Amino acid sequence: MTETIWLIAAVMAALLSMSWLALAYESHWQQVFPDTGTLPNSSRLKLTGWVFLLLSAVFCLNADHPSMAVLVWVMLLAVAAFSVAMMLSHRPAILKVICPQLFAVRA
Amino acid sequence: MFNSLRMSMGWVHTWMGLVLGFVLMICFFFGALSVFDREIDRWAIPDTRFEPQPMPSFDKVLKPIYQQLRPDPVDLAATERRVIGSLPDPETLKLESLFAYTTHRDPVLLIGGEFAIPNQPIDPADDHQHVHGRATVNPATGELLNDDALKIGSDWFYPMHFSLNFNWMMVGYWIVGLAALVMLAGLVSGVIIHRKIFREFFTFRPWKNLFRSSLDLHNMTGVVALPFHFFFAFTALVIFASNIYLPVTHTTLKPLHEHHEKLEAARTGLPHEPAGVAAPLASVDAMVAEAKRRWSERDMAGEVGFLSMNHLGDENGYVSIYRAGSDRVALVGEGIHFKASTGEVIREEPPRSVVSSIDEFLTGLHLQHFEHWMLRWFYVFGGLLGAICIATGFVLFVEKRKAGHAKTGSQGSRIVDALAVTTVTGMVLAAVGMLVANRLLPADLLGKGHWEQTAFWSVWGLAFLHAVWRSSPVAKARHNPAWREQSLVLGLMSLCAVGLNWLTTGDHLIKTVFTDTYWAVAGVDLSLIVTALIAFFAAAKLRAPVSEQKTDNALSRNKQVNAYD
Repeated sequence: MTETIWLIAAVMAALLSMSWLALAYESHWQQVFPDTGTLPNSSRLKLTGWVFLLLSAVFCLNADHPSMAVLVWVMLLAVAAFSVAMMLSHRPAILKVICPQLFAVRA
Repeated sequence: MFNSLRMSMGWVHTWMGLVLGFVLMICFFFGALSVFDREIDRWAIPDTRFEPQPMPSFDKVLKPIYQQLRPDPVDLAATERRVIGSLPDPETLKLESLFAYTTHRDPVLLIGGEFAIPNQPIDPADDHQHVHGRATVNPATGELLNDDALKIGSDWFYPMHFSLNFNWMMVGYWIVGLAALVMLAGLVSGVIIHRKIFREFFTFRPWKNLFRSSLDLHNMTGVVALPFHFFFAFTALVIFASNIYLPVTHTTLKPLHEHHEKLEAARTGLPHEPAGVAAPLASVDAMVAEAKRRWSERDMAGEVGFLSMNHLGDENGYVSIYRAGSDRVALVGEGIHFKASTGEVIREEPPRSVVSSIDEFLTGLHLQHFEHWMLRWFYVFGGLLGAICIATGFVLFVEKRKAGHAKTGSQGSRIVDALAVTTVTGMVLAAVGMLVANRLLPADLLGKGHWEQTAFWSVWGLAFLHAVWRSSPVAKARHNPAWREQSLVLGLMSLCAVGLNWLTTGDHLIKTVFTDTYWAVAGVDLSLIVTALIAFFAAAKLRAPVSEQKTDNALSRNKQVNAYD
């Protein structure tokens, strides 16, 4: 049961991480916030994204034996990146929920 | 020949990818299915739909079963051709060694052994002096299962991804090995071509023209799963390197083989030859208990994955017990060897060296014996991403050239497109067609497995003929309607397979998911339904007219096109 909770946390952290790393690109930011007149604070988004990426690795290590955790984490990154890419192309508005005000600057 | 490294890499990426991409599609798709090969076996052989169980008691369950084991008729015939004189009656051949193998996903147990033969070999250097026997056992009842029933997952889809089921002179293995090598070259050249690799992580614009959106998907599926693609191509080569691709032990070092075995036997204390003195067999269950106790002491409590015995009934006989690697990225290991007649421990294998641990990790990550359902599904996802990457590569090749080929009258794009249809929708049709045939053919049909294989190749062959027959619009720079038509048939056949499973076994999804949960069968049925939905969605999308003019204009604007020349 504890293992499942750690894995869910790892999935959430990876999804958040990939979302922030994607939004650090102005083109993707514009897909999500087309009318707000703001631009992304790229360095802050990238830093938060990388921190959450590391967090997801820590959560994977808590869930499994290290040899297994490293595989879960690498594959999780692929799944999370693909999911974020699909959200951006089909339902970009979903990504509005991840605290944009923390990362926006006036255009 | 080329003005830049990127252009030369573009050439390598395009042409090597095209030629071996058809093989790589097979590797990725059937590799993805192999993640759940045992579950597909359960779907295909309804008699084995019960829960997986650990290795049963040897003394009470397995020992009597080995008395029913007989030499394999095919191996018997092959051996007869290599020896002087006729072989004795198979019923009289004596078992000299045996094994039993199971994993955490197997409700059935694979057992086998080697039967000694008295004949001398025609070739004096031939040291293969035995006939194999193999059987599948229901460990709950101790019954031998009908081995005529093809395990479609583990004996057809699984070997398809590494041998193409083309075993003559091991040609299939060599083709797949070459494809894996080309895959590595394709990954390196792909990274060199695409400079904005991180941006491509998240870029997919389905609203753009077909070339542009296919290129997005090709890049994205290539880069997000780059480590997966790299490691699977690399470990595929590692797994077969020592015994197929670089077989030094069977060639250059063969004269030392016998000598090495004797030295190894002296070092480990495991007898190389029988003593020629009859001896009884002590309790194997007691040996298993001792092995488990020792694993627990090493903080590696676990179940038996592999059990073998050598020199049966002889004073020098020994029993080897290996731990199943379900909780690690490993196969079986931590072997403990016992003297068969007394049950005393002869040898406990020491912890692995660094090199051996790396080798175990690399093979273990590919062969995935581990019990981790999320990771297994991630692997399926990775395999399908690889298949999408290659399929979109075919689309790019055709879309970039078909307008030009239409002007010059070349048939190149048409041929590639027909082959692409065959290896994308046609291949999935063949796999689903085999499952449909499995449910339509009677369970007691003699040679049922051969009929299923015939159905597989027939459906694939028909898909190829259909793709070629419908491909003429491509020569006029239009789209091949075979994509849409085969998608429709795939959707219908997938639903048909789910319906037939219900009709012939009574295992419908409400039962297998809710009332009498059995995820192996439910998972296959649900995957078939998802396949049907995707196929119908694709067919609906392909119905929409595509403006060829828009595609051509977009192509001329596209700055990346030159990279694909």
